[in-house]
Amino acid sequence: MSTPSSAGLVRLVAAREISERIRDKNFIISSVFILVLLVGVLGLQVALDSGDDPTRVGVVGDVAALQPALEAQGAAIDADVEVVELDDEAAARAAIEDGDVDGVLLADGPELLVEQQADGTLLTVVQGAVSQLSLDQQLSDAGITGLAVPEVAVSPLDPDADEDGQRVVIAIIGVSVLYSLIILFGQFVAQGVVEEKASRVVELLLATMKPWQLLAGKILGLGLLGLAQIVVIAVVAVSGALAFDLVDIPGELIGTAVSVVAWFVLGYGFYAAIFAVAASLVSRQEDLGTVIMPTTLVLVAALIVGIQAAASPDGALAVVTSYVPGLSPVVMPVRQAAGEVAVWEIALAVALMVLAIGLVVRLGGRIYSGALLRTGGKLKVREALAAERA
Amino acid sequence: MLEFDALHKSFGEVRVLEGVGFTVAPGSMFGFCGSNGAGKTTTMRIAMGLVRADAGEVRWNGRPLDQVSRRRIGYMPEERGLYPKMKVGEQVAYFAKLHGLGSAAAAKASDEWLERLGLGARRGDAVEKLSLGNQQRVQLAAALVSRPEVLILDEPFSGLDPIGVDSLAEALLGQARDGVPVVFSSHQLDLVERLCDAVGILARGRMVATGTVDELRRRENGRLLRVVVPDAAQPWATAVPGVRIVSERAGDTVLELADGADDQAVLAAALRTGRVTHFAWQQPTLVELFREAVAVPTPQEAAA
Repeated sequence: MSTPSSAGLVRLVAAREISERIRDKNFIISSVFILVLLVGVLGLQVALDSGDDPTRVGVVGDVAALQPALEAQGAAIDADVEVVELDDEAAARAAIEDGDVDGVLLADGPELLVEQQADGTLLTVVQGAVSQLSLDQQLSDAGITGLAVPEVAVSPLDPDADEDGQRVVIAIIGVSVLYSLIILFGQFVAQGVVEEKASRVVELLLATMKPWQLLAGKILGLGLLGLAQIVVIAVVAVSGALAFDLVDIPGELIGTAVSVVAWFVLGYGFYAAIFAVAASLVSRQEDLGTVIMPTTLVLVAALIVGIQAAASPDGALAVVTSYVPGLSPVVMPVRQAAGEVAVWEIALAVALMVLAIGLVVRLGGRIYSGALLRTGGKLKVREALAAERA
Repeated sequence: MLEFDALHKSFGEVRVLEGVGFTVAPGSMFGFCGSNGAGKTTTMRIAMGLVRADAGEVRWNGRPLDQVSRRRIGYMPEERGLYPKMKVGEQVAYFAKLHGLGSAAAAKASDEWLERLGLGARRGDAVEKLSLGNQQRVQLAAALVSRPEVLILDEPFSGLDPIGVDSLAEALLGQARDGVPVVFSSHQLDLVERLCDAVGILARGRMVATGTVDELRRRENGRLLRVVVPDAAQPWATAVPGVRIVSERAGDTVLELADGADDQAVLAAALRTGRVTHFAWQQPTLVELFREAVAVPTPQEAAA
């Protein structure tokens, strides 16, 4: 028989939390739901991406001249044009009936064959190509060649705008997942604390360990489970997005996913401790809502600020809140993804957050110790602190 | 030896314990009695480190209890506590592990104890599915599973039916026979009288009586004398020095004799009235001792 060390006790508590939670129906359902949702979103993205079919134009006649002209017209109006060479009008009719092509241009005529009517894109592309060729023909017939047509130079002001947009969307999805998981696992911690108080099992537990060991084990156990879940989500989402080629910036995607996971660790540590301490003030699950409400509101506000930060990552609100402990886990990843954030800024936000976690654990631990054995009604923080000294 | 030494504790203005002390020898069973709110639970919680004493300490084998030595104590709190949704077998094994058993040993000890307490078939059920009596047995299993060196049980018998009481009593006597000092509190004084080698009565934050039940009786013995004199013309006993009449009804008289009062003088006085059908010292029950002890503060106590 040995005496369990501090770490041993914390490990025992954590192991119990994990093994109980992993078999809990609600947990299984919520995990499966999140994964199904994720796969659904990926599938939807894939479906939407493949939604814009190319316009398929059959050509009978001078394909060599018409194909570049048709494609150039398509490019001009940002439509995907595919040219299919067909042998004669009979083949053209067959192709239209089979739905292989949207329309066929008979170069002699010229005439456009369609099934019922030509849609705008098709008509514009074909008309433009035929006009262009005819114009060239007439000009060269008139002896005018080597015409100098000035080409308009395009100077992009923000060549990465598209990529920035993608980064921001990824960051928003990331912090939304982070926010949901912090709330979910914070709730698990809070419910666990109240369960131990309500069932009075806490008295038996505290006869074998110190309050902080119980608190640490609980937060650590559920935290590992939460971390596992967010890592699974990140891996599934990132590999799904890469496999289906949904993003143009795989490097950035992975970077953002990693920073979201890292910020989850800090954010969870902070909020789980607060949730646990708040929960220790009540003895019944019914009273739990009222004590964790203020913290939940702070989290909701953080999410709103985070989403707002996506729009103006360099705005004063986003910059300031990205340092504020408790808000930073939701705001900073968005700023990191959306714009330039200096390394020292991230370091400062992390340092402040770690400091805050230390404070919460220290002060909260005292409230928690004082409140655990006081049952009945809702305890005031001051009463809990007084009881801890008693 | 398990020693409770001069424990003091106040909650705010309320002084709950004012020097509670008693000793429990290995292998003996100590019954801890007292009215509601007398401080029994606080005393036990101090031993378990759940409440900090203002002064005084609890020692086991001469050393003050600390977190490490407390793991060698089996404890049953007054407010029963188990995880309602956790399975019986896993729960008992969990408490065994918290007390320092390895995983395999904990599972084995859990199975053994549940079998012994007649819960072998229920080990896969959630605790909340069990009847209250069975939950109480799981609670006991949780206290005993780690082979504790000391047992501290707060009201272990409350809420049990007579058969449950018997099987719990059996289990505790078994522990005491194995050399474990057992302290338990109870309001069922007949049970305490039957089971305990020693009794402590707590009132107003002090131990007002400690010792074996016989010792307590002897203390009260030589004080109350019951004399039945059917033909007596009253009052017949007032003339005897040092005698006070406690009650008198149709010749059935209970007298309290001061130290040094002569019981034979009382008998002589009784015989002068006619027939004496009963003359004996009262054997107080523990209930009477308890009432006597907790009823009113003695003058010394009041002055203290």
